[in-house]
Amino acid sequence: MSNTSQFQQIASNLPNLAHLFRWFNRGRHLNRISEPVLWEELERNLDDYVAIFTALGFDLRLDGRGFAWFHQDDGSSNTNKATRQLALLFMVIFDTQADAGIPLMKFEHWRIDQTLLTTVFEQHQDLLEAEELDLSGLVSLMRTAENFGFARYDGGAWQLLPAVCRYLDHYEELASQVDQDEDVSWAGDQDDEDNSL
Amino acid sequence: MSSDYGFQQLVLLNSAGYERAELPLDESVSLIAPNNTGKTSLINALQYLLIIDKRHLDFGAHDKDKARRFYFPSNSSYILLEVTLPESGSVVLGCVGKGFSHDYAYFAYRGPLKIEEYRLDNGKLVTQPQLLEQLAQHGRTANFYSSTEFAEMVYGGARKQGQTSSEFTVFRLENRKDANAYRQVLTRTLRLDKLSSGEVKRHLLQIFSRQLPDSVVDFKQEWDKAFAEVNQDREQYRSARNQQTLIDELERQQEERLAIRGRIIARRPLIDDGLERWQNHYQTESKNLQHQHDKLQEQEADLLERDREQTRRQSELNQQLEALNKDEHRRRELENRLALINERSQLEQQLASTITERNRHIALLDNACGQPAPAIEHQLRRENQELSNLRKEQETLSDNLYLTLKQQISAEQLSILNRGLNRQLLTLPPGDYQLESQQLLQWLQDMPEDWFELPGLNLSVANQAPQYEQRSEKEVAQLIEDCRGRLRQLQEQKAATEQLDTQKKRTEELEQEVKSLEKDLEQFDELAQLQKSCPDRLKAMEAAKQELAEIEHAQKQAGALQQAFREQIQEVANQRQALDAEHQEIDGIRQNRGDTDDQFNWLADLPHTPWVGDPVLPLDQLAKTLRDYQRDCYQLKELDRELHHQRITLHSGGLTKFQYAPSPEEEIRLMVEFRHHLVREAEALEKKARSAVVTVTASLRDLRGNLQSFENAMHEFNRLISRRKLSDLKVFRIQPVHENHLVEAIDLLIQTAEKVESGESFELFNQSSVLDDRQLDYARQLLIDEGSARHGLKVADLFRLTFELAKENQDVESFDDIDSAASNGTVLMAKLVTGLAMLHLMQDKRRSVQALCYLDEALALDAANQRSLIKTASEFGFALMFASPSPLITAHYCVPIQQMSNGKNHISRKHWQILQPLETVEA
Repeated sequence: MSNTSQFQQIASNLPNLAHLFRWFNRGRHLNRISEPVLWEELERNLDDYVAIFTALGFDLRLDGRGFAWFHQDDGSSNTNKATRQLALLFMVIFDTQADAGIPLMKFEHWRIDQTLLTTVFEQHQDLLEAEELDLSGLVSLMRTAENFGFARYDGGAWQLLPAVCRYLDHYEELASQVDQDEDVSWAGDQDDEDNSL
Repeated sequence: MSSDYGFQQLVLLNSAGYERAELPLDESVSLIAPNNTGKTSLINALQYLLIIDKRHLDFGAHDKDKARRFYFPSNSSYILLEVTLPESGSVVLGCVGKGFSHDYAYFAYRGPLKIEEYRLDNGKLVTQPQLLEQLAQHGRTANFYSSTEFAEMVYGGARKQGQTSSEFTVFRLENRKDANAYRQVLTRTLRLDKLSSGEVKRHLLQIFSRQLPDSVVDFKQEWDKAFAEVNQDREQYRSARNQQTLIDELERQQEERLAIRGRIIARRPLIDDGLERWQNHYQTESKNLQHQHDKLQEQEADLLERDREQTRRQSELNQQLEALNKDEHRRRELENRLALINERSQLEQQLASTITERNRHIALLDNACGQPAPAIEHQLRRENQELSNLRKEQETLSDNLYLTLKQQISAEQLSILNRGLNRQLLTLPPGDYQLESQQLLQWLQDMPEDWFELPGLNLSVANQAPQYEQRSEKEVAQLIEDCRGRLRQLQEQKAATEQLDTQKKRTEELEQEVKSLEKDLEQFDELAQLQKSCPDRLKAMEAAKQELAEIEHAQKQAGALQQAFREQIQEVANQRQALDAEHQEIDGIRQNRGDTDDQFNWLADLPHTPWVGDPVLPLDQLAKTLRDYQRDCYQLKELDRELHHQRITLHSGGLTKFQYAPSPEEEIRLMVEFRHHLVREAEALEKKARSAVVTVTASLRDLRGNLQSFENAMHEFNRLISRRKLSDLKVFRIQPVHENHLVEAIDLLIQTAEKVESGESFELFNQSSVLDDRQLDYARQLLIDEGSARHGLKVADLFRLTFELAKENQDVESFDDIDSAASNGTVLMAKLVTGLAMLHLMQDKRRSVQALCYLDEALALDAANQRSLIKTASEFGFALMFASPSPLITAHYCVPIQQMSNGKNHISRKHWQILQPLETVEA
């Protein structure tokens, strides 16, 4: 009872609560760059928001690099599909840019326009076609990314938003796992050798 | 290392479930009690004295009202703190309950703190209303203070009148502004386990804020301010550039207007003067021309009259000459005709004979003309009959029937027979006769008197003349002669009648001949006459001819003269007409002058191009000049209108820069000038834009500088907290991490500004204008958005703090949240160190007053860490109080909390245990 009234009191001080809730609940990421006002509000009242969202059963995560989202350990199949496709999208984009020698950490400054997407598509045609994605599919995927708060459309091109770091982190993790696996296998080999000795 | 000054002891009387609690604060303390015995309550009591501001009191799960009831159950509930201060020695800061309302009051006095002084003679605690009196009895001058006054006192705020400065100031801060932060950190030091990363950041910022002056930048405002003019200028530049042709046209028209004005100004007096002179001129000239005209016409009329006279004379002479010629001709003709006649008598004789002949013929013709020829013929035949009858009668005169009958028959009978034989008898009407053929013979016998009775026919001869009368010879001969005479006459008449036409012709011929002769006679006379006048005539003819020739010559001359006159008249007429037309025109213009508008009166005051035409106006030029002038006037008005419209068009096209020029003229001048200097304007605009970038980045530079200062301060801070080893941590530091997008945006703008200042890349006419740089615009927008979301950009918005930790032999790890960084104990330590360091930073280093720092759940730390912490705290000017269920041997004091039989807690000085190294004790 007292908890409820407490929440009500807190909620009354959070004019953007409903907005933010809808925002996050759609699986959307909030980026400081693109939504400075909402971000400021969230940041200022972070404890309250976390408390309310936690009470509602959501796990609000806030990354210091300037984005926040509702964390889900196991998303719906639909989200999974979207997530998978977005992972592919970002991977091919990052891959293309890496091949072009462009520093990846500055991804927020890239202009992802039709030209770049065409290049991306051309360079990863096989991979994308295997996923039944054509160039227009890539474009609509960018729109999906926009819907999830990974990108924004501005001045005729998309701009990746810091939330993409989630994918980047994931790639890095995977890469380090691969490295570790390699290390382990290498170590294992060594062990084997030791054993053999 | 304990300070000489600082907190000495905390005493709770009848508060927070303690009947009495005395807690030493001058050295590290190990507060020992089982869980939930009121250790934290004890420490929290300090909040009332040190935090003071009700808003900042924090009792964890308990709300403030509850806490108030808990701490001040009665008006004899006390929280007392004894502090030794460098200025005033021992002072007591106290808070006493006001009773039923559970409210409380602050008081203070110069110590030392003696609990006995609060006890009345009856052994009870003094109540709040008697407190001051009670203390006074013990020689303590205590005062009550409002919470604000108390707070200001404790933190060395504004001094009250008559109060010695900083008498009770416990915390001397380097900066007054830190008081709030200090109190908040202090609150946390009382509950350090709750110190969060956000708070650390906030407090650090607050602490360093004095090094970051004026740290809020409203970027949008700065930008707008810096670029307002540039943007305006740019708009003006663009609109001018877009409307260049229009402005050129404006310029052309304006020049034209100026020229026209100049002309009008110069001509107006000339024209006024000219018009005045004109009337006179016109009248004089007009009269003059009229006079000329009249004179010429007169002359022409004279000429005409003369000419007419001559013509008349000419025809006269011609007639005369003709008559003379005719006479002459006649003379010659007559001379030819009458060449054979020498004398007049010859002709007279001929005439007389001819007249006689003619007269005879006329008489003949007169008789012949009595009867016509057929009648004469008839009469002639009758006369011939008569004559034959008479001749028969003459032959039978002696022996004829009648004579016989006369002898035989009676005279009556003869008469009857004679009458009966009348040739007229047969023409008798039917009444006059009766015819009976058998009786005709009888008749002859039986014939009645006066009847001619023929057998079957009885004729009355009563009325008949006797057919036959017996004449004498003589008578008959006479009758025959008469008849013959008449016959001859008739014969002649008949012949005459038969020759009448010939006769008539002949008569006419004769008549003609008479006339001809008479004429000849006349002509002869005439000839004589003519011959006689011939010499005179020839002379006259000669004279006439001469005169005619003269006239002809004169006429020829007159024609030329007349032509000349006519031309002259025409010319004068033309002149007059021209003059009239000119006058009419001038008059018309004068009546309807185009320069009647007001503006023409002060035209000279308006800008104009001086006219360098002829300053004199000849009258013959007046009309033309007036016409030109009039046209100029209209054109000027037209130009005024057009220029006005042009200006409005330019305004609506955005060129409003000069709208507030003192006059439209000036505005036009400025517009034109502006248009001519567009290239320079573009340069100026670029320069302005650059300087705007520089201006706007000045504040960003400050911000960036502040960030740098903050980082430097953080560096210092990290050194402070790293001085002692924390737990097993090799590295512990709080690192500001840039909010890259913002810092990069700021850096970009600053770099741009530097380039602009050094003129490195933004050369004149460089395409990449400052104004159109996309990245720059993006950076600007970003800063504006962030700024407006945060009501201005602060240094705090430019970074976040991360906690970097590393154990021995491990890489440094960063954590956004300090709680998740390491084990509980380590985190506790980290927080404690951080908090103490912050407090230390805020305190006035020259005046160390040792305060208290509380650490709950202290058993989480091992002894080494405890010692380390105690030392650290001491270095920062704090005595550390560990709370734990069991004693910690690292502390100076061990203070157990005892539970009384009445359920209240009790801490007595008597139970304090002082732990000292054996060596010291032994020594």
